[in-house]
Amino acid sequence: MSRPLAALLLLALAAPAGAALDPVALATVISTIDDRQRSTGDWKALCYMESKEEGKTDTVKELIVYRRDADDKQMFLFTKPRSEAGKGYLRVDKNLWMYDPGTGRWERRTERERIGGTDTRRGDLDASRLAEEYDATWEADEKLGAFDVHRILLEVKPGVDVAFPTVRLWVDRSTLNVLKRQEMALSGRLMRTSYYPRWKKVYSESKESDVWYPQEMRFFDEIEQQNSTLILIREIDLRPLDANLFTKAWLESKSR
Amino acid sequence: MTVLLLDLQVAARSLAQHSKRSLFLGAAVAAVTAALVLLGGLFGGIRAAMLESGTMLSTGHVNVGGFFKPTSGSSAPLVTGWRKVLEDTKRIVPELQDYTVRTRRFARAISEASSMQLALAGIDVAREPRLEESLQLAAGSLDALTEPNTILIFEDQARRLEVGIGDVLTLAAPTDRGANNTADVRVVAIAKSVGILSAMTAFMPDAGVRKLYQLAPDTTGVIHLFLANERLAGPVAERLRKGLAAAGYRVMDPDPQPYWMKLFAKVNAEDWTGQKLDVTIWEDELAFLAWVLKALGGLGGALLLVLVGIVVIGILNTLAIAIRERTREIGTLRAIGMQRRKVLWLFLLEMTLLGLLGSTAGALAAASISGAVNAARIPVPEAALLFIMQDRWRILVTPGALLSSAAFITAVTALAALYPAFQASRLAPITAIHHVG
Repeated sequence: MSRPLAALLLLALAAPAGAALDPVALATVISTIDDRQRSTGDWKALCYMESKEEGKTDTVKELIVYRRDADDKQMFLFTKPRSEAGKGYLRVDKNLWMYDPGTGRWERRTERERIGGTDTRRGDLDASRLAEEYDATWEADEKLGAFDVHRILLEVKPGVDVAFPTVRLWVDRSTLNVLKRQEMALSGRLMRTSYYPRWKKVYSESKESDVWYPQEMRFFDEIEQQNSTLILIREIDLRPLDANLFTKAWLESKSR
Repeated sequence: MTVLLLDLQVAARSLAQHSKRSLFLGAAVAAVTAALVLLGGLFGGIRAAMLESGTMLSTGHVNVGGFFKPTSGSSAPLVTGWRKVLEDTKRIVPELQDYTVRTRRFARAISEASSMQLALAGIDVAREPRLEESLQLAAGSLDALTEPNTILIFEDQARRLEVGIGDVLTLAAPTDRGANNTADVRVVAIAKSVGILSAMTAFMPDAGVRKLYQLAPDTTGVIHLFLANERLAGPVAERLRKGLAAAGYRVMDPDPQPYWMKLFAKVNAEDWTGQKLDVTIWEDELAFLAWVLKALGGLGGALLLVLVGIVVIGILNTLAIAIRERTREIGTLRAIGMQRRKVLWLFLLEMTLLGLLGSTAGALAAASISGAVNAARIPVPEAALLFIMQDRWRILVTPGALLSSAAFITAVTALAALYPAFQASRLAPITAIHHVG
């Protein structure tokens, strides 16, 4: 982090409760949230996904998430349960593909795809790009449980395509970790509330600093209120991945 | 002519003389004819219901739809610049009787109790006379669909979502640019279900669908075209494809699948961007139901084959007995100079006459039964309703079907009689006269 940025961050952290964050400090908070989660090298994480939907049996899935943020590449490989093992998603050149070893076919999917049939979207497991996609407005400093937080409203920038045009964040003032996130539809209706109760960091040699990640993410569907998804991120590995990993052939080889 | 009348008289007398046998065989022929007519009528009734429901709910006789792909990885069922497309369509299809323009999209409908996926059709009620004519409302009013933020759903959906008139549903769907959007709509009409076709379909004012999906005014979902004769849909669609391509539009190759199958399974995976038009006919849009007709056709065909087989065996057997009984008579006729060809002709004529009388009786009986069934308005069981697509049994019997069925069965009877009649004609007079039995 550059020296001026660090100074602004300190200012933002030191701002007394109730005092509005000025635009510069606010921009610093947002870019810091992005920066802390950005991994300049490769990323591999073992994840557990638990989904609850009304009228359906709860499902638990295990998957490995691979990311190469520099090339905007991403891959999900489901490993459990047995019926899901080998299925996966591959995102290259802004196209999302899904592979089902049962049929041996690749299908192109939209960015809106509900990953593994849960309420999780691809973007939930991608790098944070808040500064790039949204304009921020400070709303209030308040308490969220025991935490002192900034409440920040994000509105999508003109010409940018995102799943939720309006987002509200509750950011821990002491750590700048996002603790709560509300996502609104174009109509303004609240669609999803997410909680990020636990954050962890791991040292990245390529970045030469820590990479922060939410160890636990809880998504609550606000339209169908009985539906929710829990994601646990375990075993982060930031070592370089195989150069050929983000290919269809690699994903297919995992189910042979 | 006189000879023919005389031969017919002989054949009729012979039939009358063996009244019991003739009656038995004639009844069998009548039963098979009636079965043929009724099965055909049932098949025709389902096909007509499918066409009627389909053209009311989701298709015209011919459709000008299409897909717009902003990127090669995403697609939407849209026709951009639809007014020009419509003008060109009118020029290419001068015999066009009527048309409707609809937006068509998918959205999740959420009530207090439940949720389900709906195929939304954005309509202008004033331009939808078919809905007014064919849709049977269980509750509410079709005219209320002129009000904003309203929706018409079907009974099955109302049951599943546990909503009634006046209740509010939330519709959630992503726009074409990927942003999630919602709309709260009030249920103003609940229509009676029409089988699988209405399982997911719901109607909204066009403006409501446009707002939910943020559609531009010159963009729509599909133009449904209606012709005086739906049987001309195939040739018209072919002409339209060529005409639109010549007018500079990119037109997709014919593919007999409904648009939603193409949207989910085909177009998304194709590597192109921009607009392509897709011209389909009603049978393409209802192709996912073709198996119902195929299954019914297969079952009916198998049943008819068995029945026709029984009749053929019956004729062979009966004629074999008749020839045996009338061997002396044949011998005498041959001895006084009757040619072999004449014997063959008389036996054939006798069976053809029997076939004609039996099949006519059967066709008339079938016409009466179908009339009675249609008049009785017998309800279709709920389980079958899904695929039969009509709430009352309807047997569609046309004069053409009656005539062709009777002619077919008469021809089968005559053909079945050919071999025994030929055997009879080959009897030597002396052997026949000396035949004891």
